[in-house]
Amino acid sequence: MNLHIDDFKNDDVATLKLSGEIDAYTAPQLKEKLLGYVKEYDEVQVDLEKVNYMDSTGLGVFISALKTSKENESKFKLINLQENVYRLFNITGLNEVIDIENTVQGGM
Amino acid sequence: MNETLSSVPIRKEWDIVGARQTGRNWAKDLGFGSVDQARIATAISELARNIYLYAKVGEINFERLDSVPSIGLKITARDQGPGIKEVSKVMKDGYSTSGGLGAGLPGVKRLMDEFDIESTDAGTVVTVIKWTRI
Amino acid sequence: MGSTKSGKQDYKQLLMEYLETGDESVLYRAEQFSKNSIQQSISPDEIVNEHYQSLLDIIPDMDDRIKSSFQFLIETMISYGMAYQEYHVLREKQIELRSEIGVAANMQDTLLKTQVPQVDSLDIGVKSVAAKEMNGDYHHFIIDDKGNIGIAIADVIGKGIPAAFCMSMIKYALESFSENQIFPKYILDSINRVVERNVKEGMFVTMFYGFYDVDTNYFHYASAGHEPGFILRKESHEFEEIDAKGLLLGVESEVTYEEKFTQIEKDDIIVLFTDGVTECRYGDRFIEQEEVLDVIKSFSHLPAQEIVDSVYKYFERLQDFELRDDFTIAVLKRIK
Repeated sequence: MNLHIDDFKNDDVATLKLSGEIDAYTAPQLKEKLLGYVKEYDEVQVDLEKVNYMDSTGLGVFISALKTSKENESKFKLINLQENVYRLFNITGLNEVIDIENTVQGGM
Repeated sequence: MNETLSSVPIRKEWDIVGARQTGRNWAKDLGFGSVDQARIATAISELARNIYLYAKVGEINFERLDSVPSIGLKITARDQGPGIKEVSKVMKDGYSTSGGLGAGLPGVKRLMDEFDIESTDAGTVVTVIKWTRI
Repeated sequence: MGSTKSGKQDYKQLLMEYLETGDESVLYRAEQFSKNSIQQSISPDEIVNEHYQSLLDIIPDMDDRIKSSFQFLIETMISYGMAYQEYHVLREKQIELRSEIGVAANMQDTLLKTQVPQVDSLDIGVKSVAAKEMNGDYHHFIIDDKGNIGIAIADVIGKGIPAAFCMSMIKYALESFSENQIFPKYILDSINRVVERNVKEGMFVTMFYGFYDVDTNYFHYASAGHEPGFILRKESHEFEEIDAKGLLLGVESEVTYEEKFTQIEKDDIIVLFTDGVTECRYGDRFIEQEEVLDVIKSFSHLPAQEIVDSVYKYFERLQDFELRDDFTIAVLKRIK
């Protein structure tokens, strides 16, 4: 399964729209791209509406992004999470430290 | 006894071909067979490409070594480039930028009979020798 | 390198025979010859050259253009030869590395070994299987002088050798707690600091820590972002989730973990696992948590170790005997 990354930029805000699966195979490309954006833009949001599967490697990527955004004093947030993806953030307690907006299909 | 044969400067990609040609001609003169000629030419390609890609400018030197019972062709690639920081690393197979094509310096070492490299931040000298088969 | 004189003779001999007879048996011997050459790491350009040299003997009046074409072919094959030689070296190196990883995996097993405690009131079973050679899951038991039991289950995000190093660190941190300190909250607070300080960016650990008090039969627990555990209640024959909110280890330096406790009745079963169990999938289908619990329930009449073994076998078969993730499950059954 693949991960497709679309990006939209305006001024200081960048949005990455992901579709597919985030796992050990797709995480490295996501990490490279995401960390680059977090360093470059004041605000980065990642749209996970079309991500139907994510494993713990994906969490690692978002934790790295969170840390990088703190170092760069930029904003980093996740939007439109599917229920099963949100579950991971909820279990790991990351929903308390990462800015998460909107979960789809009712969320939790 | 050593005898300097010639020297080819490397400045542009085209010079790589010139160096190959010169090396092949000397190899033929010294009595190397066709496989060895091809190996020598390939080794020169690698050395010259390294100069062209990483140091921009350098030269390839050819010497004849008279020994008993064989004759040797000694090739010295010299540049004043930034040098190689960790020689042992680039001499490892699979490390080279060739992407597993077996090229790079380990490939050169295998193509030739003797191999030596000295690298400082003032430049790199690679010396290789091929002996005629008896 | 370089082929032997007799090798050359053989090749020329074979070629001549073939040109005369066109016989399949000669081709078969040619196959043997090439296998032999590979074993002696004779590169393809050498073989082409042998062919050329043999032809020169067999057909002395060969066209100059054909001769040149052989020179051309030899040149073309040189790079194949180089790639072949490199492949040879890399293959040997791979074998060497593999055996080293094997040694490391053994060492990990030895280093991380934990004894399943034997106590009167509890029947305990554990099954932990690595998907690859190095296990990214970890479990650990502590028993204090009163016979109370501490159990840690952890999953390192970021697998392989770095995870193994990280786990050794966690184990020694866990072992350094004195016996009267093995309360879940205290342990997770401290381990989090250890992990945050010592682990490189990009590696994180989830951990569930439980403490079973054999006097009161209370189970105290705290979780650092770990998969929730469950208790299969004897009375209702239903699962009850045991979860305590908490951030996974190593993200922030100061985290205060929540600690909860619950009463365990006779024949209740505590089940703890890693996400290798709940996230296992076959084909494109994920296994729902309910299915996992149903399977556990169906084996719940068995002794603890048989429960975990049976659950593992069930999911191993479901995934066609190819684990995608490390799998760890622990079961504590109150029997007195």
